[in-house]
Amino acid sequence: MFNLPTPHIGGPELFVLEFGDIVAYFSPYTALLFAFAVLFTVLVIVSRPERQVDIAFGGDAYYTKEVDPDLLRFQRFMAIACGLATLGAMVTGDVFNFTLFASMIGITNIGIVAAYRNRHVLNAAFQYGIVAMLATVPLFGGAAIILSSTGTLSMWELFGGAVAVPLIAKAFLVLGVMGEGMAPFYIAKAEITRAQGAPFILMVHVSSLLLFLRVMEIVISM
Amino acid sequence: MEIAYPVGLVVVAAAIIIGFTALVREKDDLQRILLVDLAEVLGLVLIALVATDLAEALILPGLVVGISELLAVSEVYIAREGLKEPTGPAFRLEVMESAPGILALILVAHGIILSGFTGGAIAAVGAVFYFMCRGHNEQFELIETVSGYAWAIWIAAFLIFMFLPQYWFFGVMMAGGAILVKVMAKMSLVGTMRRGGPDV
Repeated sequence: MFNLPTPHIGGPELFVLEFGDIVAYFSPYTALLFAFAVLFTVLVIVSRPERQVDIAFGGDAYYTKEVDPDLLRFQRFMAIACGLATLGAMVTGDVFNFTLFASMIGITNIGIVAAYRNRHVLNAAFQYGIVAMLATVPLFGGAAIILSSTGTLSMWELFGGAVAVPLIAKAFLVLGVMGEGMAPFYIAKAEITRAQGAPFILMVHVSSLLLFLRVMEIVISM
Repeated sequence: MEIAYPVGLVVVAAAIIIGFTALVREKDDLQRILLVDLAEVLGLVLIALVATDLAEALILPGLVVGISELLAVSEVYIAREGLKEPTGPAFRLEVMESAPGILALILVAHGIILSGFTGGAIAAVGAVFYFMCRGHNEQFELIETVSGYAWAIWIAAFLIFMFLPQYWFFGVMMAGGAILVKVMAKMSLVGTMRRGGPDV
């Protein structure tokens, strides 16, 4: 019954899971991305936060940085949630669900970055939050235009040659994902100032990378 | 539909241009949050323009995502500015001393007449207003229990629809009344948040 129409990008489907008319699937391509996301989610779950030391200039003295356990716990929760949202975005077979998972990645990225009490980092998190919120306009707008012009949101229908998806909808979708996946640019502030939370910040990069790879597959296949 | 959709698209495109221009020009961060929230509505408008049942179902998750992002960014803003909760009563208005009783009564009565989800929301607005103005010292367990029973009645109404469809009118009444009580109970908890008791 199910037959992925574009095997030259994602390969043939390996596994199909039906939720009513929303059909999640693995192709070799998305299965690889999924495995990558699982790997890093597991890493976030098992890893311990790094303990940082500041060296005082001109002497042998150093002092350790205090790490608030509550903030770290929050950051780890957000990183795990970000991993789960990434997993969802990788396997979903519905364009609107994909946009929802993308914006969920955006929200959890704000959470990961916002768990610092450093003014510079909070400023970066705020600017990213503004961009992520604005990105929901083209993201949902793209999905809505796809729905209105083709009458369906299912990737199984859209990937076939029978329906033509307008270019503007594809552009909107990519624009929205660019906004949501922009986090690594803002995370630089946290990394340059060496704010704590080293293993969890990795999730921001992973989710952004996987989101871009996945939206490329969707846009090219449509 | 054939005329309305392109016209709507043009209007939305104009609104997006206006909104994004305003965002570029605005420098104050608090104002920018508000402007971004306005711009986000345009995404929902784009979905609403599709004007089918599916679009109606898609608006709700879009709205939830927008609100949660707004909450997250606002929390970041509060943490960044180091804002504290004000101590003591925030503001006193004459109307908040005299009006709650009669207004809450009118709203709740009107909500009960409407019944269903809309009625629950309207009755809840009355309850929220009352609790906000008069304070609260009732047991929250009671509200939660009532809400739980209302939910059970709502489910029972659905079972009637499924297994005894000939009693559909009874089921409609049960579901309407129960969802009224449930929405109202849940939303009235919102009104208790401002006075900040120990349990909030």
